[in-house]
Amino acid sequence: MTSDRRLRAAIALLALAGAGVTAYLVYARYSGTRLVCTTGGCETVQHSKYAKAAGIPVAVLGLVAYLAVLATTLTGRIEAAAIGAAIVFAGLAFAIYLIVIQVAVIDAICQWCLASDAILAVLAVLSAERLRRLAGRP
Amino acid sequence: MTRFLHGRNLLFVGVGAAALVVALVLILVSVLGSSNAETTPPTPPTQTAADGSTAPAKAPGAAATAALFRGVPQQLNQLGNPKAKVTMIEFADPQCPFCRQFALDALPAIVKEYVRTGKVKLVLFGIPIIGQNSEDGLRAVYAAGLQNKLWNFMDLLYKSQGAENSGWITDALLRQIGDSIPGFDTDKMMADRRSSDVDAALAASEQQASNARVDRTPTFFAGPTGGTLQQIPVTALTPEAFRPTLDSLTR
Repeated sequence: MTSDRRLRAAIALLALAGAGVTAYLVYARYSGTRLVCTTGGCETVQHSKYAKAAGIPVAVLGLVAYLAVLATTLTGRIEAAAIGAAIVFAGLAFAIYLIVIQVAVIDAICQWCLASDAILAVLAVLSAERLRRLAGRP
Repeated sequence: MTRFLHGRNLLFVGVGAAALVVALVLILVSVLGSSNAETTPPTPPTQTAADGSTAPAKAPGAAATAALFRGVPQQLNQLGNPKAKVTMIEFADPQCPFCRQFALDALPAIVKEYVRTGKVKLVLFGIPIIGQNSEDGLRAVYAAGLQNKLWNFMDLLYKSQGAENSGWITDALLRQIGDSIPGFDTDKMMADRRSSDVDAALAASEQQASNARVDRTPTFFAGPTGGTLQQIPVTALTPEAFRPTLDSLTR
């Protein structure tokens, strides 16, 4: 039980961090603020046509996803863990596609996207472990 | 199979399948959305293939331009490492034939030898000295700069250059060029041409030209980044004409 709580706390913290990163991208997009960017490609990526899916900015999708993952940590139920894991795995797969687009098509790298990708990768490991532990219980 | 899809395994497979479906839908929507954006200009310039079918035509030299600037950092009107030891400035007009000649004959070697290696950063100041059509082009060029693709856009504009003040810089051409730059948002560029950012960039270029007493294009300056730049005495628009200045500054 304690270890599940710890896992949930870790997932919640990471989801909060991810929400922070994506919230910054959403804020910059709608306020017209220039992104702080050491890789030099953030604006290029943020203003490319791949920065939207079905008209919705990818940063907004990411923010909603992180908040949903955060919500799944509020309960210890296995259904919540399953939904959280599904969101994280889907997000990770989409993030890998976006990395390929950044490198191969747009030819620019956005450090904030990479930060979110790193958070997602760790979240994926923790979410899988949380699900495995809950499913292993009698 | 039925034994495998039971209890815990079923849960994992279900979660994985749900994630996969969501990810595939997102990727599909992203791919379709980006290709739609490419094929909805109001007057798409088309070319007829051998089988009679038509497809949106890429701007001339699109592949070479993409290759020339691939992987080189761009920030507004700057090309190359922002902390490069040397800064080289070009004042140019998209309608000017000698600017085109510089872009075609000298720029590729300069980018390869000095910019890619991080020694020199290039800065472009566009000044509309030939006519109103120059400003039409420069507004699009600076709007492309807001997406950090100014150098790609200017290069492609030169590659489609027509006779001075013949009205060759049309919205259709600007859209064709935008659609030829990988990952570029053409609609945004078209809209940004009238933005305050572009107004400010044009005004800043004019001010720079006025301060430096530039009255013709192309005019080049070079010097240590952050220091005083000197006009480059250009005798020809070839890489050889620029090497003595750039070599001595980067040494």
